[in-house]
Amino acid sequence: MRGIRILVPVLAAIMVVGGFALERAEPQAPKEVLIGVLLPLTGNFASLGQQYLWSNQTVEDIVNNDYPDLNVPLGPGKGFPGLGGATMKLVVRDDQSRGDLARTLVEQLVTVNKVHWIDGEGTSGNTSIIQPVVEGYGIPLSCHPCASPTLTEKGFKWFFRTGPHDRVMVDSVFRFLQEWPKNGGPTDLKTVAVFTCDNLFCQDNHKIALEHAAKAGFKVVADLTTKTGATTLASEVQRLQAANPDILFFVQYPAETAVFQADAKRAGWTPKVLATSNGAYSDQTWLEAQKKTNGGAAWLGRDPTAIDLASKKPSWKKVNEIYKKYSRGQDMGELAMRQITGMLWVADTINRAKSLEPAVLAKAAADTNMSPDQMIIDYKGIRFDKSNQNELATGVVTQIGWDGEKHTIWPWELAKQAGYTPVYPSPSWQERDAKPKPAR
Amino acid sequence: MTELAQAVVNGLQMGLLYALVAVGLAIIWGLMEMVNFAHGEFMMLGMFGAWWLSSTLGWDPLVAMLPVALAIYGLGVLTYSQLMRRVQRGDAFAQIFATVGLLLFLQNGVVALFTSDYRFVSDTVLSRLSGVQLSILGIKLGVPLLMAGLLALALFVALYLLVDRTEFGLALQATSEDRDAAMLVGIRPQKMFAVAWGLGAALVGIAGVILANFFSVYPQVGLSFTVLAYAIVALGGFGSILGTLCAALLVGVVQSVTVVYLPPAFKDAFVFGSYLLIGLFRPQGLFGRF
Repeated sequence: MRGIRILVPVLAAIMVVGGFALERAEPQAPKEVLIGVLLPLTGNFASLGQQYLWSNQTVEDIVNNDYPDLNVPLGPGKGFPGLGGATMKLVVRDDQSRGDLARTLVEQLVTVNKVHWIDGEGTSGNTSIIQPVVEGYGIPLSCHPCASPTLTEKGFKWFFRTGPHDRVMVDSVFRFLQEWPKNGGPTDLKTVAVFTCDNLFCQDNHKIALEHAAKAGFKVVADLTTKTGATTLASEVQRLQAANPDILFFVQYPAETAVFQADAKRAGWTPKVLATSNGAYSDQTWLEAQKKTNGGAAWLGRDPTAIDLASKKPSWKKVNEIYKKYSRGQDMGELAMRQITGMLWVADTINRAKSLEPAVLAKAAADTNMSPDQMIIDYKGIRFDKSNQNELATGVVTQIGWDGEKHTIWPWELAKQAGYTPVYPSPSWQERDAKPKPAR
Repeated sequence: MTELAQAVVNGLQMGLLYALVAVGLAIIWGLMEMVNFAHGEFMMLGMFGAWWLSSTLGWDPLVAMLPVALAIYGLGVLTYSQLMRRVQRGDAFAQIFATVGLLLFLQNGVVALFTSDYRFVSDTVLSRLSGVQLSILGIKLGVPLLMAGLLALALFVALYLLVDRTEFGLALQATSEDRDAAMLVGIRPQKMFAVAWGLGAALVGIAGVILANFFSVYPQVGLSFTVLAYAIVALGGFGSILGTLCAALLVGVVQSVTVVYLPPAFKDAFVFGSYLLIGLFRPQGLFGRF
């Protein structure tokens, strides 16, 4: 009995001390959530990288500061409420647009900087290089504007993409072209030429375009692929002109697009329809430059959002104001919109997970069911399929009007809302020169 | 046949622009035997100069040519006196590393100052003529490119006369051939090298100003041209101004004709293939002397 009398207080003491110790051993709420951001800030793809950096800085600003009236995830309030008010901290690395460096830097982000999430690399080619590395470490990785379908077709468990891929977006262009005659469009479009650049993104577009052109009933009369960094495209233009396609499906970066425009103008050639996919068509600086020359008028292309309609949303306007603080006054283009939407989803996922454990984060990501009303972009929401591709990310088709702005022309219900009549056929260079320029 | 003739004419027009880009390198690398991997970056600075003067002061690139050339001449002299003069005493690797470092410094400096945006110089004298064509026997000649080509040709003639027919040019050649012997006859080699760097930089800067009429302006624009310029100088023969011109025209024509008959991916393969082929029979290049 005496033994029990002694044992009870000892056990009680052990329990109290042990409990205290357990309480002490419990992980403290983190002060910062580290997001590893790997981008091409210098080198060939620097113009893309800088837009993504500005987008990420915008999201960091939104998460860490209080925007009470901003209807986006983590807009009102400061920090992550799910993590006791921890703030978001970006750990930015520049891979100089080089895949080998991207691979090294992503390892550093995981092992040295111990980041909780990695976003990057912004281009499909280099993202495909870092995917197996990050997969090996078991940390969530996202690339929202990467458009190559192959990125989510390789069975990686830790890779997530909120943006649409090229299969969806190129399909949109050909569906528009196929359905156009029944919706008041021309009936004489029969042939197509495909002219693309040569990296992973370009070649995916090339492959998908050839598939969809055939499915949509167009005859492919020319198929040319050119190296990025071309200093002249005069002979390519000569071949396209000789093939005389009704539609030119064109995928090139801004520098090569400028070379193409100069060479096509010199040759005096314009196809009836110039359809494009990403590349220059997504680059805000190229779009702005077209307002001085009418060079982009009547170009049509796929976009992940109806920018003319989305930009009317109050949340879009507010986010754009924040974005302009970082972009030296440049407005958000559709690439920035994709990236900001994706990074806000990353923030929402971390907040919902209430933990920085990779497996918990991945589960929270996979369980996402975000409604469109919280977005600055026209996706139907965010919900992932088995390959971690957002199945609610859709594509629209837009056309650059004589005002230099993009207007939604497909799907037909959105086109009706936009109230815009497409320019057809593509105007000659003389007509472009003669018309007033929107930027003057 | 018209198709082939058109491709040849297109190639010749582009070749004249390539020649202007390459000739500065022909002086620095070909004549003075110094490596310069930052050659394309001087061209990029010329393009940015044209864009900046156009967007802030409304100057046409044709007007901007002189101030930009003078500024880049100064930068070339400065590069030699502050950097290359020191590494010149070491082996070729020192020059390679120094100029690669300079390339990264200039490229990233421009990124920091102006961001990586693509910029376009529009509404210039040449761009306003961009739809105007001359048609000879069914072959079309774009007037702006023709004017740019003629401008390049005029600069080439002036440079040829300067290097081959003036006392200064002979001093430049003498320094390149035997620095000690040149000193004995009163030539100051350091001064000659500095002037050669200034001249090479100014010429490619002028090329940049002209190219700004046709290409987008961005910090990485120089690289594609640098690679071609090295092939052109080696193909034409080290130190030969005339060789550089002929090689540039050949490169332009090879690029252009290849694409008419083969997939465009072969374009550069044929350029470097022709260099290898000519190198088998004339390792010193078309007009080079050993």
